Amino acid sequence: MKKVMVHPERCVGCMQCMAACATAHSQTKCLLTAIAETPLPKPRVHVGAGLYGEGFPNRCRHCDPAPCLLACLPGAISRHRDTDTVIINPDICINCASCAMACPFGVIRYHQDMTAAPGKTVAVKCDNCMARQRAGLNPACVEICKSGALTFEEPAAGLKRKTDEVARSVSVCAEGLPSAPGFALLNAVKKAQAGLSKM
Amino acid sequence: MNYVIVGNGVAGISAAEAIRQLDPGGRLTMIAAETFPPYCRPMISLLLEGAVTPEKLPIRPPSFYEQLQIQPILGDSVVSLDVPNRMMHTRQGRTVAFDRLLIATGADPNPIPAMKPGMKNVFFMRTEVQVRQMLDVLPQVRQALVLGGGLVGFKAAYALLHRGLQATMLIRSDYPLAMQVDDQAGKMILKELVGHGLEVKVGVDVTGFDGVEKVTRAHLSDGTDLPCDLVIVSKGVSPALSFVSGDQIKVNQGIVVDEYLATTAAGIFAAGDVAEARDITRGTCRINAIWPEAVDQGRLAGMNMAGRRVAYRGSLGRNVIRIFDLDVMTGGLVHPPAEPAYEVHSALDLRRRTYRKLVFHQDRLVGIIMVNAIDQGGILLSLIRSRMPLAIPREQMLSPAFNYRTLLR
Repeated sequence: MKKVMVHPERCVGCMQCMAACATAHSQTKCLLTAIAETPLPKPRVHVGAGLYGEGFPNRCRHCDPAPCLLACLPGAISRHRDTDTVIINPDICINCASCAMACPFGVIRYHQDMTAAPGKTVAVKCDNCMARQRAGLNPACVEICKSGALTFEEPAAGLKRKTDEVARSVSVCAEGLPSAPGFALLNAVKKAQAGLSKM
Repeated sequence: MNYVIVGNGVAGISAAEAIRQLDPGGRLTMIAAETFPPYCRPMISLLLEGAVTPEKLPIRPPSFYEQLQIQPILGDSVVSLDVPNRMMHTRQGRTVAFDRLLIATGADPNPIPAMKPGMKNVFFMRTEVQVRQMLDVLPQVRQALVLGGGLVGFKAAYALLHRGLQATMLIRSDYPLAMQVDDQAGKMILKELVGHGLEVKVGVDVTGFDGVEKVTRAHLSDGTDLPCDLVIVSKGVSPALSFVSGDQIKVNQGIVVDEYLATTAAGIFAAGDVAEARDITRGTCRINAIWPEAVDQGRLAGMNMAGRRVAYRGSLGRNVIRIFDLDVMTGGLVHPPAEPAYEVHSALDLRRRTYRKLVFHQDRLVGIIMVNAIDQGGILLSLIRSRMPLAIPREQMLSPAFNYRTLLR
């Protein structure tokens, strides 16, 4: 089964995944019209900044066992076995924030959503774009990502590629080159800028 | 194998599910006083508030016992436990033998001396039955009185306010939830509640009640009287372990358990509000009577009972509450001892109405209080649980921009 994989070293922090995610979870599925919708569609993936402004697309890992699922008071969180996706049922959710206490990655947000009853605030998080996947599409965050920080692939294949990258970067001929040199340079610049602005 | 679980709260049902996963063929009996299908205890205040209907409370279907091939003994309770002969006696005269026993009886509300038997409209708030009884009398209620400013008292008061009722809360400390929050957060909570019409009296207690059939007036320790027609008593809970003899099983405040949730008696386990396990931030045994720990302890106790040795990390007191427009999350040591090894960092933003306090012990995070902007709180709590040494600047962790990326190299 293909899964979304995150490659933090390649994230440039452009936040396009957030816009694509919000659009994919809108009623009209089009950015131009989505921004006029009520409730305003919001992303399930969140690009946070690191200590030096490096980006990272933080999304639900669909843990197994999932701490949020075990902590959910009304039993609104369940696992969809076919897609290995942890999902929240907005009709059962009582917005108690018990899952906010449980999630070690901080990926759950609380707001109104088109999947919930009008006016009701619920817990919202990544659903692996199950609707898009059923239509044969890739998850929206992956489709929009231009830097390769988000990929949709068989975990075994992704791990193999990563292992190979690491193996190449530590071989004698590699001279300690990072696996993603352009991105490493960008992050080095960000780090230097952050250091300068502190002085 | 003959398993017996006493208690059908979430610790008991989580244990039953874990046992069934590992041992589909074993005999499994559950003894419990409550006859309602397994339900979500923390949600009973929402029932009082009117935010949910009773059908929303069950977290397992009525067929739960049948599906897991559990023999239920409901409406009965254990009165004595015979450890050497491995059997128990119940109030209704049953004798139940066991090979492996889980005590998950939870806790019972503490009574106060002023309570008299037969005085109506004076309630505890612990079970769905109690809340349904409150709902029955609620239409006649004009003036409610809540005793105690802990989590239950707070949730009761909040629910009554939501119903538009006049409510007075008597608390011993200067602000509600004094066990969970500090001065600053406590005052923010108090302000929010008072702003929504709650009357709070600090440092007073009830000495007696008046009323012929039902309560009409409360006498307070400061010499004054308060008219009231509904009283909710929430002066803490005590572990329900009256049938456990201290010379057969080690008991402190609760039943002491090791990292496998085993008591000092072979084959007997305890989990949930009745169990006293190691507290992660204190390093000593302590009851953290909260729902998620009951789930965890029940699950792991079940696994260990069925023969799979799985260690429990220890418990962490934590809570999250929403109070009108205020969200509060707390966890771990929020009142650290005054020792140099403890360091406190806090940030207050009155304009955004956010407050964040982090308590460190050397290079580890051991306690948090967050008021509003709580959605990254789970990361901080998981840092407390994992006891991760932290090298990043502490002001970065206080910042509203703190997120998972901040922790990565």
